[in-house]
Amino acid sequence: MANEKKCDGSTRRDCLRLGLGSLVAGGFVGSLQARAVASDALQKNREADACILIWMDGGPTHYETFDPKPLAPVEIRGEFEPIQTRVSGVHFSRHMKEMAAIADKLAVVRSIRHNQGNHGAGNHYMMTGAPPRIPVGCGAFVSFHPSLGSVVAKELGAPNGMPPYFSMPSMSRSGGPNFLGAKYAPFVVADDPNRRGFRVRDVALPSGLDDGQFAARRDIRQAIDKMRRIRDQSAGDPAMAFDEFYQQGFEIISSEKAQTAFDIEKEPGEIRNNYGRNPFGQRALLARRLVEAGVPFVTLYNGGWDHHADLFSALDSRLPSFEATIAALIRDLDQKGMLDRTLVIALGEFGRTPKINSRGGRDHWSNAMSVAFAGGGVAGGQVIGATDRQGYSAVERVLSPESFVSTIYQKLGIDPAKLLRTPEGRPVHLVSNADPIKELMA
Amino acid sequence: MYRQRPHWYSGDLFLLGGVLRLVHHAPDFINKRSICLLLIVFFLGQLFCQMNEPSGRLIAGDPVSFELDVQPVLTSAGCNAGACHGKQRGQNGFQLSLLGFDSDFDYSAITKQSRGRRIFPAAPQKSLLLLKASGEIPHGGGRRLNKESDNYKTLLAWLQQGNARAIPNETKLSRIQLNHNSRLLSPGESDQLLVTAFYADQSQRNVTAQATFQSNDPAIVSVNEKGVLIAGGLPGETAIMVRFMNVIEVCQVAIPLPNPVAESYYSSLPINNFIDELVWKKLRRLNIKPSAPIEDAKFMRRVYTDIIGRLPTRKEARQFLKDGQPEKRKQLVNDLLDRPEYAQFSANKWADLLRTNPYRVGIKTTLNYDNWIRRQFRQNVPYDEFVRSLVTARGSTFRNGAVTMFRDRRSPDELTTIVTQLFLGIRLECAKCHHHPFEKWSQGDFYSFAAYFSDVSRKGTGLSPPISGSEEIVTETGSGKVFHPTTGERLLPRPLYDVLGFKMPTVSQETGDEVFSDNRSADSLMEKLRQRDSQPSLRDQLANWMTSPDNSFFARVQVNRIWADLMGRGIVEPVDDLRATNPPTNAELLEALAADFQTSGFDQKSLIRKICNSYVYSLGSQPNPENVSDRLNHSRHYRQRLRAETLLDSIAVITGVDPTYAAMPVGSRSVEIWTHRTGSLFLDTFGRPNPNEDPPCMRTNEFTVTQSLHLMNAKEIHAQLRNEKGVVAKLAASEKKPLEIVEEIYLMIYGRFPVEAEMQFAISVITGENKGSGGDAEIDGNRKLENSEATEKKTAVGSLRRAGIEDLMWAMINSPEFSIQD
Repeated sequence: MANEKKCDGSTRRDCLRLGLGSLVAGGFVGSLQARAVASDALQKNREADACILIWMDGGPTHYETFDPKPLAPVEIRGEFEPIQTRVSGVHFSRHMKEMAAIADKLAVVRSIRHNQGNHGAGNHYMMTGAPPRIPVGCGAFVSFHPSLGSVVAKELGAPNGMPPYFSMPSMSRSGGPNFLGAKYAPFVVADDPNRRGFRVRDVALPSGLDDGQFAARRDIRQAIDKMRRIRDQSAGDPAMAFDEFYQQGFEIISSEKAQTAFDIEKEPGEIRNNYGRNPFGQRALLARRLVEAGVPFVTLYNGGWDHHADLFSALDSRLPSFEATIAALIRDLDQKGMLDRTLVIALGEFGRTPKINSRGGRDHWSNAMSVAFAGGGVAGGQVIGATDRQGYSAVERVLSPESFVSTIYQKLGIDPAKLLRTPEGRPVHLVSNADPIKELMA
Repeated sequence: MYRQRPHWYSGDLFLLGGVLRLVHHAPDFINKRSICLLLIVFFLGQLFCQMNEPSGRLIAGDPVSFELDVQPVLTSAGCNAGACHGKQRGQNGFQLSLLGFDSDFDYSAITKQSRGRRIFPAAPQKSLLLLKASGEIPHGGGRRLNKESDNYKTLLAWLQQGNARAIPNETKLSRIQLNHNSRLLSPGESDQLLVTAFYADQSQRNVTAQATFQSNDPAIVSVNEKGVLIAGGLPGETAIMVRFMNVIEVCQVAIPLPNPVAESYYSSLPINNFIDELVWKKLRRLNIKPSAPIEDAKFMRRVYTDIIGRLPTRKEARQFLKDGQPEKRKQLVNDLLDRPEYAQFSANKWADLLRTNPYRVGIKTTLNYDNWIRRQFRQNVPYDEFVRSLVTARGSTFRNGAVTMFRDRRSPDELTTIVTQLFLGIRLECAKCHHHPFEKWSQGDFYSFAAYFSDVSRKGTGLSPPISGSEEIVTETGSGKVFHPTTGERLLPRPLYDVLGFKMPTVSQETGDEVFSDNRSADSLMEKLRQRDSQPSLRDQLANWMTSPDNSFFARVQVNRIWADLMGRGIVEPVDDLRATNPPTNAELLEALAADFQTSGFDQKSLIRKICNSYVYSLGSQPNPENVSDRLNHSRHYRQRLRAETLLDSIAVITGVDPTYAAMPVGSRSVEIWTHRTGSLFLDTFGRPNPNEDPPCMRTNEFTVTQSLHLMNAKEIHAQLRNEKGVVAKLAASEKKPLEIVEEIYLMIYGRFPVEAEMQFAISVITGENKGSGGDAEIDGNRKLENSEATEKKTAVGSLRRAGIEDLMWAMINSPEFSIQD
């Protein structure tokens, strides 16, 4: 009946068939087949294999990062003077030293705007490309549409049984799968990779258990399992799905490639230092390792950018190390030859008010925001669009969250205009009026 | 009169049926079979000729109506589909109403908007409308109409006749009729659906070419745009939706198994109550045989997980399995229904549907709401009372948890969607913005229903997320108005459909306004409502209508929900989507369950008891060759993965180590958690609703790889198995023999005793022996060692034994027999 049909039009039977394929073909080949099924003409033209999304929750200021306004009155331009970047004529704000040094690899879009001036709605709009269906408040954590990461997880998948969508250290407010189903929820790694003895939860054996013991347990499990399977696919036996996912689970545990990716201690100390010996720095490094192992989407969630008060002192203490980590990530990807196929993006839900308020902070401002792109076929050294002289609003090449989100889909070879069906049978475009930012396309 | 042409085919079919019946009763010397065959061939031939005759063709000069002729063409060509010009902002500046439900809007879009560029009266064939649709000039949607087609000619004729909004004395569509509303096909067979439209002026015509067809499951039976049904290769059932203009009809198609089963087979099947009778009746229609029934152990595991949401403890399991009484199954069901755990588990399910986000409504309010829901189940409040208290709730969010829905949903339209979906199984959300594409509901229906909430008012402090900590009082003002969003007309409260004792308003002949039977006008109605004592409030009236014994939607959606929980699949799926186009797999059964529920005074325990005591409930999951592909008719039990809370709470019982939950007392079960903001990686992984989604939330019980990884490697479960005070440590330290330990473990995790081979193997695991080597002798040896005072060896053996138990329990928790209800 109608509900047997999944949102993507495949029935449960098809899924089983795919799953069986991977069992028969065995491990990696099977996953590759599954990926091949998902691919189409767009996939051939895709420009990036993975995306690392750095989410600065709260809404980072555009003035003190990528869009300084030195000619504006002092109550707008703030305390920080601009600095020259590696690209002549392009200036960033004072603390963006490392990013300025690699500006030739960056494309900064200064003109994305929308109309959702609170965290709940802004997060939803930028994370999913869809404005919230009903008005929501600042504290809202809402989900009305599948997020970027969940869609990529569904469309691209990952090899070796790896979860295709990671979010660290938590899921962003609207970063869930919505109607795509729990299968495409992010795999959250909450623990701090900067701590000694860090392990990625669940994919590594719990401490106190060695490989030998685990192998013995697997044998016992095999021997003890007497539940009769209903092999006929039309029966839709959940035990068959169960087997499929255990197979995949064992694959990831026994895959050296996957296990190496999770083991951040294998990284040379010098590289670990480059990223910064702090939780965010090491998460960025872990993100690179995951991408190396074939994970197509990683969200690095970083809270606390909602500077309603004491903006400048707050940025003095946190921005330098933060931006240095992003620059280190981009440099490292570049040195490893991965930057061409890995899209790195840094943004928040909106920009901040032009006038500095009485508490020395800036408030929410969705009329302008800056988003930085690197890699994945993005031509560096570009600034796209502009805000007016005082940074009030985007005035040149005004772009929407829909454009932002469809750019990422297009880069990853996913048709942003794809038609999905909600469980209610309602047709929904992946992105409504999809229009990728052409300056960012190769 | 609107196009009176002879339309004889449907009459013909009647004739055919009549003649066939005559032949059937004819004397035996006539060769009935060959006559039938001849007749059928003759009529099919006629039918075929007729299908080839362009049925929607216009007789030259016939006036073409925009609404009755042009709109259906636009719909059948997909112009106004949700993915094209029918979507909210249109396509490239040209917007039509979704599926053509708003002809005034569409007429204006086609003839007037963009300075009328879409039509060219001087040379109608050069109108943009035709040039684009026929692909003569580039069109993003490609070529939708062939220039030779009748549909194209209809559009052209309309333009040539001067593109009027309506023709003189235009009639109205009153209904459509299909040549079949239910049909049995054999695998691979095909059949033509024919659609006849009947108009108010008594005329009728064949509109098959302008109708749209959609199969609910194309793998079973597919349907093409011409209305030809093609049965797939497998037996099964589905429904075909047919839409013409704003009228929808359904044809239910079934493909029975090819081999007939003797009548006597079904009449000899056991019948515990009416449920069995009606399930067998359905199976007989499809020639499906039910699976064999299950043994006590599986039954026990089923009812424990279904009624109280956890596995039986080893003690409970042993007691039930050893019990020799013939009525012990019935007794167990009664016993479980009386436990407080039943209330917690049921409340947990309702919390999915109602639970609010504390960041929105406030933490105290959320807790009060949860407490209120749990109290209803502890007191076994009848379902109609439960809904009535919720829908008519008044008072402070700090004192009456039931008002929380009105704090969360603040406008009549938001309340309408949740109330209709949860308590009537009607998903009205579509009709908020446009006519429902699969149903009769219009925006007028939606907002008239919303008007029941028009006078809800709130005092105190409203929402201030993310804290929203203040108190709010929900009450009624007796004022407040709801208007139709497009016509701007003020709407009076009106139920969605007529049930006995609740008259729908009629339209006044003189003014065109809606009037109620007692001639109430909108203002006088509101005036009366202000005199609260004499008149029930709007919400009371709504509750009266909803819970009326004649409102079968109300009972059906809830029995379907409970049936789905217990049987692994609803009679209607999704459970709260009782659409005409989503027909029940067993309508009679659904009606009977609903009637029984009403008769019992909406007692949910009585309903659960009936279902669990039916013979059908105790059918096994292992298929026979005839029912392997049956996933709709309950000829076998459908295996399902246990709920997140059931698994987590069961692991706590099995390991003897309770996890701790934020904002919950020590020793709480996860089923008692009152907000999804209480973190639990386990519950998140196993699919409890995302706290960021709006209620009502649907659970999925699908498996994922993160679930298998979590069961294998989660440090929390590892710690539970390794805990010094846990069951593993205790069993290892006990004086129990390995044989006893294995028995205990099997009872705890699988809810059954091990068979001999399993026992042998499990003992070898516990004793650290290789598989299959005889266990008992060794064990005795171990015990002797332990009894002797070789202390250092005792420790070594003890830890070996403990590791063995741990391995065994890990392996069993990671096998499907643990996490699947069989």
